[in-house]
Amino acid sequence: MDKKDEEFFKRLQATFRVEAEEHIRELTSGLIELEKAPKFEKASELIEAIFREAHSLKGAARSVNMKEIESICQVLENIFGKIKNEHISLSAEQFDLIYKAVDSISKMVSDGGTIAPKDNRGLINQLQSIIQTHAQRKIVDEQTESLKNPLKEATTGASFENEIPVATERFIGEKPIQAGTVRIPISKLDPLFLQAEQMIQYKIAAIQRSSEMKDINGLIGLWKTEQKKWDSPRYSESITGLKKINDWNNERLKELETHIIAVTHALETDQRSLGRMIDDHLESMKSVLMLPVSTITEGFPKFVRDLARSQGKEAELVVQGKEIEVDKRILEELKDPLIHLIRNCIDHGIKKPGERECLNKLPQGKITMSFNATESRHLEIRISDDGVGIEPENVRKAAIKTGILDKGSLEKLNPNETLMLVFQSGFSTSQMITDISGRGLGLAIVKEKVEKLGGSVSVESSPGVGTTFHLLLPLTLATFRGILTRIGNHWVVIPTINVERAVRVNQKEIKTVESRETILIDGKILKTVRLGNVLGITTGGNGTPTKKNHSTKHDTFIQLLILVYADKRIAFIVDEIIEECQILVKELGKQLTRVWNISGATVLGSGKVVPVINVSDLMKSATQTDLSIKESKEKEIETVMKSKILVIDDSITSRTLIKNILESAGYLIETAVDGVDAFTKTLIGGFDLIVSDIDMPRMNGFELTAKIRKDKKLCDLPIVLVTALESREDRERGIDVGANAYIVKSSFDQSNLLEVIKKLL
Amino acid sequence: MQKAMFERNDIRSKGNSQHELPDQKNILSPEVKHSILKARAQALAVEKNDAAGQKEFMEVIVFGLATETYGIESKFIREVYPLKDYTALPGIPSFVLGIVNVRGQIVSVIDFKKFFNLPEKGLGELNKVIIIRNEKMEFGILADNINDARSIAIEELQTPPVSTNGIGAAYLRGITGDQIIILDAQRILEDRDIIINQEST
Repeated sequence: MDKKDEEFFKRLQATFRVEAEEHIRELTSGLIELEKAPKFEKASELIEAIFREAHSLKGAARSVNMKEIESICQVLENIFGKIKNEHISLSAEQFDLIYKAVDSISKMVSDGGTIAPKDNRGLINQLQSIIQTHAQRKIVDEQTESLKNPLKEATTGASFENEIPVATERFIGEKPIQAGTVRIPISKLDPLFLQAEQMIQYKIAAIQRSSEMKDINGLIGLWKTEQKKWDSPRYSESITGLKKINDWNNERLKELETHIIAVTHALETDQRSLGRMIDDHLESMKSVLMLPVSTITEGFPKFVRDLARSQGKEAELVVQGKEIEVDKRILEELKDPLIHLIRNCIDHGIKKPGERECLNKLPQGKITMSFNATESRHLEIRISDDGVGIEPENVRKAAIKTGILDKGSLEKLNPNETLMLVFQSGFSTSQMITDISGRGLGLAIVKEKVEKLGGSVSVESSPGVGTTFHLLLPLTLATFRGILTRIGNHWVVIPTINVERAVRVNQKEIKTVESRETILIDGKILKTVRLGNVLGITTGGNGTPTKKNHSTKHDTFIQLLILVYADKRIAFIVDEIIEECQILVKELGKQLTRVWNISGATVLGSGKVVPVINVSDLMKSATQTDLSIKESKEKEIETVMKSKILVIDDSITSRTLIKNILESAGYLIETAVDGVDAFTKTLIGGFDLIVSDIDMPRMNGFELTAKIRKDKKLCDLPIVLVTALESREDRERGIDVGANAYIVKSSFDQSNLLEVIKKLL
Repeated sequence: MQKAMFERNDIRSKGNSQHELPDQKNILSPEVKHSILKARAQALAVEKNDAAGQKEFMEVIVFGLATETYGIESKFIREVYPLKDYTALPGIPSFVLGIVNVRGQIVSVIDFKKFFNLPEKGLGELNKVIIIRNEKMEFGILADNINDARSIAIEELQTPPVSTNGIGAAYLRGITGDQIIILDAQRILEDRDIIINQEST
């Protein structure tokens, strides 16, 4: 029995926690609103609401025997009862005190624990002083008595309710049971939703089956026509036996056709209803998981207030469009980025009241966060502050200081592109790193998270006026539409969200400006690249415009897809647009954690697997390709081609990877598994350079280097050590034994290795 | 084999030491005699077990890669799936053949011929994907054909020769008497280098 009781109590506590959190949320947002000093009517409404929340929370706390919470709520209730009756207004300090009380309740709720009675006592006394300061008029003796001893009062319970009869009559019994709602743990909904989502696969397959049936019908039609020819008199007269067989064939054919037509119709009907049902089902499932934006923004106004105050600033947050419903999985991922952006506004945008007044601004800064559902079913979020804005010059300086870009490349950027640098990892304009921001990670994380959700982020700013961050996200994760596109023999899906439009243009409209291809669309010059080149797909030339060029050069039409990402627009040349379709994006498997340019894969109705393009990566690749093509064309090809390199590593994978990197850069590669193997090969080999791992069996990289340096014939051979060892001693040892370069694997990327090799050859 | 022989010698030497005992026969109490006999019985019993039942075996699937024959331990294999079609991904190292759809799940397929410098062979009907996995990793290995499944005595495995054409010891567990190269599935699955994680081109 005891155990049962205990279990019951535990369940009760869990229920209490959920309920209490709700009350605390309501309490907090009520307080925030109230502090904005609204008009009289609104104020009394709010006071009433706060009073009611405090009262309900008190009751709930009592039922699970959490006396501390109960007593604090009691005092809060008293305070707001009094405010209500006597129309008192509170000072900012008094609000602070009340927030503090709510915070400590919240802490007690989440810890399930208690705070030291002494602290509790102190808090209660402080709270009471609020009413006492206002007690200029007479206070009923009885009430003073109860306030002095709230703990006793609280435990005796019901006696309090006699004191504010109006309130109790109205709110006792008005438990927060809303009609038509039921609480279901999200953990139960998630799998249900996934299952619903998986059904898309079968809807797509049904469409495919249906069209396959139509093809079969077509074949039968063809057969019938052919068969009819045998019915003509000149055949039937000659061979009667054959005629019989033919008649029999005709009969069966007719039967078969009737059946197939019936099945086709049935299948079509099934497919349509299946499709509709799956869509409806998914829609309902989605709507179950759609939560209003307010579920994450509830705490924001208080967060803004507290954070600003801790920096001696004043700021207010206005949230618009709280009621918009968004997929819970998106909301969950969105909370951190939004907090980062708010922090950024307070830390960099909004200055102290004094400084603001000098700029003719109100002392209190204003941050607006507006949510908006667009017609194309996207969620648009704007976070603006009325602060100092971002000075492009500061961005430039910081970019140089943090080494993100050099001066030369910076000059090429337009103002918008310059501003986008703030999203680069490691970027910070702060002189000092604080615990709030300045580490240069915040905005980079925002960008990463938003992109992961299939969204984009950009920023606008006018110096002196303010800054606006602009986020565009899908409302739901599942409604993913893509454009199925062909390049050579490869099919890819491009997310529709990033496609501005698809156009067919005449080949001659593509102009070459400074060795770059461009096209004029809607009066704007757009950079034009071949999707195949960017992805590194060799189309082999058949079917692509190159072949047609010879014959009808001026009338060749090519298919363009104009992709947009953040503030970038690029036109991509593709071979064919097959269709726009609904797709389900799947991960590429555990071994492919991150593949550049590709975000996942989808399975078409035919069972064919098609990669889904990551447009953020693609845009970066497209900007890089022309640089790399130019460079490789100008310098590398001739000089580099014939150099012979020996790659030594005991790990097959590392060896293969390095080999691939170097081979694709045009070098001739041989491999060895350890120092001994390598030395033997070097003696025979005629290599121009050696790339070696350090940690290897039999003879390690240091020993090998030393041995080569001692050999009369080989002593000049350039040696690059590539290693996981990161210590300074090792680096020095590497130089001591005579290695020409020492690359640590953690900082190891292709361009680094290739650059080093180019220098040494 | 070596191990078994060694143990047999061991027992013989124990037997020798017992031959010396008759000289002291008179001073043996029944308890001592009993314990000697018991020890001897145990020793004999152990020898029998060692010779037959206690050899460690592993179950392997034997498959072909170009001209060579490989084996991989069955306990790491989720399933063997016919390679009907695959999708190559642009921009990834050549040792990844591409991705396949296994009943709605996407699985990447690795071509080990690239690691072992084996010649390419066109893909055909016989090609299979051996999907191996542990708790954290899962991927397919391209096989030119599947030969059979068999048990192999672990102690009979020999160290693979360090070959000149690039086969290192890293992914190999050993080679059997009849030239089946046994892959070390555990190490392959745990190798961080096999994971593709491209942060930029």
